[in-house]
Amino acid sequence: MIKGSYSGKTETELVKASLEGDKKAFGEIVTRYQKMVARTVKGMLGDSVFAEDIGQEVFIKLYYSLPEFRGEAKLSTYIQKIAVNLTLNEIKRRKRFFSMFSQKGNNEMFEFEVADSDNEERKEASEIVNKALMAMDPRFRIIATMRMLQGYSTKETAEILDLPIGTVLSRLSRAQDQLRNILKKM
Amino acid sequence: MNPSEVKKLLISSLNADADPLDVSGRLEKEGISYDFNKNFSEKVLDKLYSAGYNVTREVEFVKTMNFAFYRIALTGVAAIVILLISIFLMEGSLSFNSFLGLSDSYDESIVCLLTGN
Repeated sequence: MIKGSYSGKTETELVKASLEGDKKAFGEIVTRYQKMVARTVKGMLGDSVFAEDIGQEVFIKLYYSLPEFRGEAKLSTYIQKIAVNLTLNEIKRRKRFFSMFSQKGNNEMFEFEVADSDNEERKEASEIVNKALMAMDPRFRIIATMRMLQGYSTKETAEILDLPIGTVLSRLSRAQDQLRNILKKM
Repeated sequence: MNPSEVKKLLISSLNADADPLDVSGRLEKEGISYDFNKNFSEKVLDKLYSAGYNVTREVEFVKTMNFAFYRIALTGVAAIVILLISIFLMEGSLSFNSFLGLSDSYDESIVCLLTGN
């Protein structure tokens, strides 16, 4: 079991310690990757309190699937895949729910809170990004989130989304067209 | 960065040859960053290492059941509506006799049917 500070430990050491029941080691994994998960979940679902529940689910699912993690891919990629799957499932669930019980439009399924900021310009920029992302089709929104917020390359995006590179490139182009139209109206 | 610059940056970030790391870095510099609450890590660990998580899972189960119930209920309502429409089309009314399939039977024939005389 790892003793002492956890911040200098490698992914493999942290995973091993977590599997041995070391709570602090898993806590370090959560701290290390929570921002990355937040970007995916909040980028896809909106910056709402509700997204936090999905974020927690991501790490809970990770905890229970750690024995299956063989270390072939990076831990960050593995976590990112879980985050993407849970987020897309949540979008599907909301879509089903809203189509059955609500007259709300597609964009209203997602709420977002604009981060408190003294700087008006920053607040406005944050609002533009959130509104634009929420107005996008989920298939393109995930691509935009991976690119804009996570800074992933086409190859990394393809790996995380389990898509061929050609598909990612074509969706990237269609996402750009859609984003251009959305931003034109704003 | 003014709104039009932000819009330009967002659009250009989706160019196939754009540097995604540069774009995400610039957006973060502009204050467009996401994170969970400060005690996020503690909340996750609490859920994992306390009995509370089982309760949450049970609540999730109830939610799923509720959703399934709504679907079944809606299907049932749809079936009833279809039945009513078909009765109306076949019998020409929605009277009690139509429901029982007796709308075009005479009383005598029913007595005959029931008593055998």
